[in-house]
Amino acid sequence: MLQNKKLAILALVALVAVVVLAACTTPEAQIVEKVVTQVVEKEVVVTQIVEVEGETQIVEKEVVVTQVVEVEATPPPVERQGAWLDTVVVVEEPSADAAVTRLDVGELDFYFFQVSNAVVAQKIANSPALGQYRSFGSYSELSFNPTGPIFAGTGKLNPFAVPEAREAMHWLMDREYIAQEIYGGMAAARWTPFNNASGDYAALADVVRPLEAKYAYNKDKATEAITSVMEDLGATLVAGKWQYDGAPVEIILLIRTEDERRGIGDYVGNQLEDIGFTVVRDYKTAAEASPIWMSGDPNDGQYHVYTGGWVTTAVPRDLGSNFAYFYTDMGRPDPMWQNYVNDPEFYDLAERLDNNDFATVEERRELMARALELAMADNVRMFLVDRASVSPRRAEVVGAADLYGGMAGSWLWPMTLRREGQVGGSVRIAMPSILTEPWNPIAGSNWIYDMALIRATGEMAYVPDPYTGLYYPRRLERNEVVIQEGLPVGKTLDWVELSFAPEITVPEDAWVDWNAAEQRFLTVGEVYTETQTALRKNTVHYPADLFDTVKWHDGSPLSIGDFVMGMILTFDRAKEESPIFDASAVASLRSFMSAFKGVRIVSEDPLVIETYSDLYYLDAEWNISNWWPYYNQGQGSWHALTLGIMADAAGEAVFSSAKEKALEVDRISYIAGATVGILKAKLDEAVATGYLPYEATLGQYITPEEAAARYANLTEWFRKRGHLWIGTGPWYLERAFPVEGTVILQRNADYPDSAYRWLGFSEPMLSDIDIDGPDRVTIGSEAAYDLYLTFKGEPYLMDDILNVKYLLFDATGELAYVGEATAVEDGLWQATLTADVTGKLAAGSNRLEVVAVSKRVAVPSFDSITFVTSQ
Amino acid sequence: MSQAAAPIGAGVAPQQVKKRGAPDTLVRVTKYTITRTVSLFVTVVIGVYLTILIANMGGHVDNIRRSQIREAIGAASMTPEIRRMPVEERNAWIAALIQVEEERLGLDQPFIIRSFRFLGNALTLNLGRSEYVISDTGSRFVRNIVLERLPATLVLMATSNLLLFFVSVFFALYLSRNYGSVLDKMIIALSPTSAAPAWFYGLFLILIFAGLLGVLPFGGMVKAPPPDDKLSYALSLLRHMILPVSAWIMSGIFSSIYGWRTFFLIFSSEDYVEMAKAKGLSSREIERRYILRPTLPNIITSFMLMMIRLWAGAIILETVFNWPGLGKLFYQAIGQYDTPVIVGNAVIYAYLLAITVFLLDFLYALVDPRVKVGS
Repeated sequence: MLQNKKLAILALVALVAVVVLAACTTPEAQIVEKVVTQVVEKEVVVTQIVEVEGETQIVEKEVVVTQVVEVEATPPPVERQGAWLDTVVVVEEPSADAAVTRLDVGELDFYFFQVSNAVVAQKIANSPALGQYRSFGSYSELSFNPTGPIFAGTGKLNPFAVPEAREAMHWLMDREYIAQEIYGGMAAARWTPFNNASGDYAALADVVRPLEAKYAYNKDKATEAITSVMEDLGATLVAGKWQYDGAPVEIILLIRTEDERRGIGDYVGNQLEDIGFTVVRDYKTAAEASPIWMSGDPNDGQYHVYTGGWVTTAVPRDLGSNFAYFYTDMGRPDPMWQNYVNDPEFYDLAERLDNNDFATVEERRELMARALELAMADNVRMFLVDRASVSPRRAEVVGAADLYGGMAGSWLWPMTLRREGQVGGSVRIAMPSILTEPWNPIAGSNWIYDMALIRATGEMAYVPDPYTGLYYPRRLERNEVVIQEGLPVGKTLDWVELSFAPEITVPEDAWVDWNAAEQRFLTVGEVYTETQTALRKNTVHYPADLFDTVKWHDGSPLSIGDFVMGMILTFDRAKEESPIFDASAVASLRSFMSAFKGVRIVSEDPLVIETYSDLYYLDAEWNISNWWPYYNQGQGSWHALTLGIMADAAGEAVFSSAKEKALEVDRISYIAGATVGILKAKLDEAVATGYLPYEATLGQYITPEEAAARYANLTEWFRKRGHLWIGTGPWYLERAFPVEGTVILQRNADYPDSAYRWLGFSEPMLSDIDIDGPDRVTIGSEAAYDLYLTFKGEPYLMDDILNVKYLLFDATGELAYVGEATAVEDGLWQATLTADVTGKLAAGSNRLEVVAVSKRVAVPSFDSITFVTSQ
Repeated sequence: MSQAAAPIGAGVAPQQVKKRGAPDTLVRVTKYTITRTVSLFVTVVIGVYLTILIANMGGHVDNIRRSQIREAIGAASMTPEIRRMPVEERNAWIAALIQVEEERLGLDQPFIIRSFRFLGNALTLNLGRSEYVISDTGSRFVRNIVLERLPATLVLMATSNLLLFFVSVFFALYLSRNYGSVLDKMIIALSPTSAAPAWFYGLFLILIFAGLLGVLPFGGMVKAPPPDDKLSYALSLLRHMILPVSAWIMSGIFSSIYGWRTFFLIFSSEDYVEMAKAKGLSSREIERRYILRPTLPNIITSFMLMMIRLWAGAIILETVFNWPGLGKLFYQAIGQYDTPVIVGNAVIYAYLLAITVFLLDFLYALVDPRVKVGS
């Protein structure tokens, strides 16, 4: 017994010792390179008080003396290929609050999440150890139920069936209050269907600003307009409450509860109660509300107003479709949309803008301007605020964050993430979730956080500008775009060659479809008897050394086989004759084929591919069909994809979630889990047999030697790392720990690009405007205002400015004049109010508002000055 | 002291019982086993079916899912390729995608039919596939999802609960011997602190030991990147367990000790204990033979129920400490209305509970001669 007791005590002591030992284990030391401060002798100009010899006068004189000073050593320029860092350790941290605390104490370096909570954002702003990148993306609105005016389901009145009542809601809602009080400053007021940070908002700022002024908060005006509507509907105001058929007029607010929209709903309710409505507040989560507003019949009268929210994940380049999408039955097939009835003029405009039915940019602008006016009056969907959010980081850790997607949505973080003043080393980033779904390039995980890592391991042939949304070439040498004459396509960047042609004929030998049974492409000549034309043709030219410089992570050089595999997989999975047929791929192919007209490999090395399509974008830079082997969910080499194809065809594991249900097997993951074992077995089989998929076609581009070499490379890769995920990106996946929630990325030393290549995108060039000019102007005389445009105190280059406009609001607040400022020099523009313009102003206080639109960032800058006019 | 209440071996003559033959006992036990098995099975069936109904909100979850599918696919229709399609074609495209997704989730069949299929599969432990939740390694099989998270939960919850249980029992025994001491009064005074849940203490512990002092990790199961060798991995695991285990113990220790101490005190004041004391037996002997032995059925019951509770994990504690266990998984499944995962968890728990209850009946008979199976 005594012995047992001693043993127990001993075991307990040992356990405690182990726990203490474990607790005392310190994190691995990290080598931090610092820019050292040097002590040097330097000649400096100082002002000294000297006594001039022979004179009694004491004067100040500038002399050159040698002093010992401390200067920050300029680090020698370093040659660096690929990423700036050596290692990125990614961990999971679901709580933004906890992540910020961990950042503050230095346990994390970056949190790849867009924090929109005002309290947490303030915590970040208050900490000197932390920095942040501000971004946009989500926005809030009020969706009105437009059916009625009597609901068929309840027999109750719906004032919002009348457009004038919906329009009056603009004046009833104080958007600035919502932005500042409900969102705690983490939002910006928004009136129109255009995101505030968008090219269209910037381009139409002179149209939007007067609309914003017209629909500014004005409760009296709202009351007046709604009273008129209610009286027309036969309602009466009894003791301050609207009554209809002897009962109070009830407004049912369907209020979302998960975020600030709860506050918005309450605010809307209070405002409506103030003007006489009886408000029913129906608080619901997303899941609870969805069956009511999304799929429920609006005629049932279960809600009058829903507090909606939307998200934009990338800088929008063309918002012309927003009118059709948000205001008309063309938007969605859901019941709410199908009940929208619009003014015929508005409907026509929305349709034309949705179909790009205009000839010039100027015509589009006119259509958009008019559509904006009508949208504000229609107002089935009333936009309230653009929500702001921040991506928190350690102050010394920087990178290029997307204006919309933040850091997690950025395409450039892999090439720009670094510690300032340091080359190499590692950082630790956290994400709210990690390895959420299986990784496979065809139909794997599309979670934003998985994609942030997938993008690091792969690359596209072009890179979206994180601040404008325009595309820059990464692997492309050039892109020739030919558009059918009369279509409104323009270009901003020089790397694209844009031209127009009266007709674009598709050559007969272009591939236009795929015969899955025979495993060969079908040409235009085979499929069509008539000559085919397209609205757009683009020809991508890859550099001559492409296949020498770009390598997959396993060491295999990129080859034309990777491109042709991509072309085949565009079609094959949607063909019933294919062994890897997937019903869920049919709809995607259908949408692709609705515009696709043909593709032709013009030259194999250097690689030149031309594509014909009826799909075109207004920006020439976006018209890139490049066939680069980057699939929906990541980059894929032909040899790694072959393993998935073999597994899918055998029914052992499949690419898509829709098919996995049907076959009762797992979805393919190239990084972890049982399917990696299946893929490895397929790799062994491919090594043994030299298997080449789609041999009838791919065999023309891939030699048996290339196939053998690639399978050998991948086998060795698997032996070293235990997974089969490879790309050509600046990072490779060293290891993934799914249960522990950790991913290790290592720098790809063979990456061909210089680390400096994308550093210019590290920060959005938001301009500051300073207006200088007279504060008193005589009516009928000319007045000139100097407009100083700067970025971080330096003049903003003229070439980087798209335009600078000024809006003159008179003493009554009405827009009196819109003009375009003229460039004087870098950083200086001038707005001139001619005698004719000032001659039309009345005596009083006027406001000159300046809007500067940059080519470098989609967010326009504003400033204004007030001046007094007198006789 | 009543003879009927006296334990065997307590120096009291055993009650005269009528001896029965072995076949009689066998029949009694067999009959009891069958009756008990059937009744427990019926209970499990009812419990699981209720879980299916509740998890599906009586079928309303189907409406939610249909709406969510419409929302998601409608949002996808904003791509330029889709927008340029004629409206009818676009709507047909959306409808086709909706159909594929509804079929994937089985929404093309009425809920009532599916509910009985769920029940049949659940009872045969064919846990099926999840609808949204995916295992960390990418599988949708509920079996894989659960098995993947089970070790993490077991290591955390077993450590916490076993420590809590044995420390409580032995400390309570000590206090029952030192009734009225300062320590005893202190434990009584501190017992209301157990009203706060473990995650509440967890937040404070994280703040102090991770945030302020920086000596222990904020959460997770091991450090990142996880160590390659097993010893380092185990040490890292232990280091990451310190705070959640402490939080669990802090939350339960005082009330647990208080409960057991009171329980032991009741037995300590029995006449036969006084008699043993009068006979001059050592306190250790009294504790072992006269207090622990009659309380054994209660201790075993408590221990067994604690063991099956390990299965459920600790939903919020695991979430606070970002511990990749079953509790966190369950939380995720509830949030996503992932019925197969919820039902899978519930059916395993139900079976474990039923088996435990069944076994306890026999264990009582083994440890307490007064109890006879089926009598």
